Amino acid sequence: MSIVFTSGLTKVYQVGETTINAVAGLDLDIEKGEFLAIVGPSGSGKTTLLNLLGCLDVPTAGTVTIDGMETSKLSSASLADIRREKIGFVFQEFNLLPILSATENVELPLRYLKVKPVERRRRAMEALEKVGLAERARNRPTQLSGGEKQRVAIARALVTEPALVLADEPTGELDTANTVKLMELVCDLNRDLNQTFAIVTHDPMVAERTKRTITLRDGRIESDEAVA
Amino acid sequence: MRFITRNMWRRKGRTFLTIFGIVVGIFALTVLGGMTARLNQQVNAMKGLMAGQISVAPAGTDMSNMQGKFVGTSTAREIEKVPGVKGASGLIGVQLKESQGFGQPQMLAGYEVAHGEGFMTEIGTSEGRVLAAGDSGKVVLGSDLATQLKASVGGTVTLKGRPFTVVGILKSTLGPTDSWAFVPYEDALGIFLAENPFIKATGIAQQIVVTPKQGVNAEALAATLKKDFREFKVTSPKEAEKQISQISTIFSAIILGIAFIALFVGGLSVINTMIMSVSERTREIGLKKAIGAKTWTILGEYLAEASVIGLVAGVVGMLFGLLAITGFNRAGHSSNITIFTISATVVVGPVIFATILGAIAGFFPALRAARLNPVDSLKEE
Repeated sequence: MSIVFTSGLTKVYQVGETTINAVAGLDLDIEKGEFLAIVGPSGSGKTTLLNLLGCLDVPTAGTVTIDGMETSKLSSASLADIRREKIGFVFQEFNLLPILSATENVELPLRYLKVKPVERRRRAMEALEKVGLAERARNRPTQLSGGEKQRVAIARALVTEPALVLADEPTGELDTANTVKLMELVCDLNRDLNQTFAIVTHDPMVAERTKRTITLRDGRIESDEAVA
Repeated sequence: MRFITRNMWRRKGRTFLTIFGIVVGIFALTVLGGMTARLNQQVNAMKGLMAGQISVAPAGTDMSNMQGKFVGTSTAREIEKVPGVKGASGLIGVQLKESQGFGQPQMLAGYEVAHGEGFMTEIGTSEGRVLAAGDSGKVVLGSDLATQLKASVGGTVTLKGRPFTVVGILKSTLGPTDSWAFVPYEDALGIFLAENPFIKATGIAQQIVVTPKQGVNAEALAATLKKDFREFKVTSPKEAEKQISQISTIFSAIILGIAFIALFVGGLSVINTMIMSVSERTREIGLKKAIGAKTWTILGEYLAEASVIGLVAGVVGMLFGLLAITGFNRAGHSSNITIFTISATVVVGPVIFATILGAIAGFFPALRAARLNPVDSLKEE
């Protein structure tokens, strides 16, 4: 079953006089349970693609279909609905809210889904257990290490049980040891929960742990290969 | 709510200063509001007293008539010939103290008692009786003045160096007459002439207070008097009420104007704080949008934060204001001066106002926050 399906996906930026074809007519199909790396040189359109897949940005042309829903004609409020219900985000800089504890950060998407407090707390704890951080639940982000912060961010992405988790350079601020640990965690989550992941990365160490690698160049797919 | 207070706590200093800015404004609003409430109380008391009588004064004078122009008591007798007039009483007033200071001016008011008791009957006594004809050397005191002079019916008080026997104490009206002493016309004239030795006239009054007969329309009677006594300024009850209202409106406008300027500045500081908060938290807003917060959800969060700033400032400012009012009133108590009145409006008004002010001031920064594009705001450092 296809989780994400794009057809002729195009994003054009106008910077002054210059036109940039960040994503140029891209066709892509991601199946449920896939574990995917999107790689490519700087400016190849990786992040733009991720933003389009995550409904953070709207395409100039072409379509994105997420979990059977065609998104290119939706209002910004409906796009927010899709982001809330179907997608989990993980960022390079973690983007945890400093005023909230780990649990409260994980609860945040559920809050926007209007889940009741008790249920919110229960599901947040569950998600934190999945990433192995149950004992750090009450800590604020400033009291957590980089690796721990990113695991909280992954718990936040997982807590809504999204169709797709999108990660933009999730190991960009982590050292090797933490990168390995994080990738092991993601591998386990993919295997045990059949959770679909699409990870944009520069790091070959990350890419080699995924099951499929898409290489972008100039907004087009240069190669798309399954990793053994 | 917890998140709001935590966000406010993130920048304690700034939040404190912002709140303080509004506190000052709300403090001013509360204190000056208390003053306005007191003023309105007096105006309303005055309006009630004015309802039944017509004033005839020399042309070119105002209500207080301290311009040194006079009308003869003989004119009062002529007015009494007009059908519908029950009595026309000459009035002469002298300030009891040279320097009145803050609070109600204390007045000695002399009426031609045989021709009308002025406000006395209207107010009514709490003790004793009103003045009657032939009451020379007797006085009826307003309630505040009586308290201040520690006077009781049957006792003697010294006014302007002369002894007067207290025959009555008036009920409290909360109006200016509470600080008046009512004496017979002749006594007041004697004091007045002694104070103004260059005036060599007798039978003079600052104004004539005309009381209509029972069942006679005061406005219609005033219209007749205006025709018959063109050389004088005739003020009907309605006109007097209008004049008093005008004065009180102007005072209220000035007083509240000052408070609103203070609040305007406070409001600007809320706008500034919220703009700063929004720019500081651009990335956070981007994240919230990424995980599915709608535009109006973000708008609501920031509006709530701004409103809470307003609410806290409102409550603190109002409490300080009440404290000051109570303090001033207590300080004025010994001399029986009440400058402030605490009413529900004075207490609740500023708090509601501050909250709304916070929300309005926070609206545009909040809208800016809510409209941020998630892709751009996530890039923000």
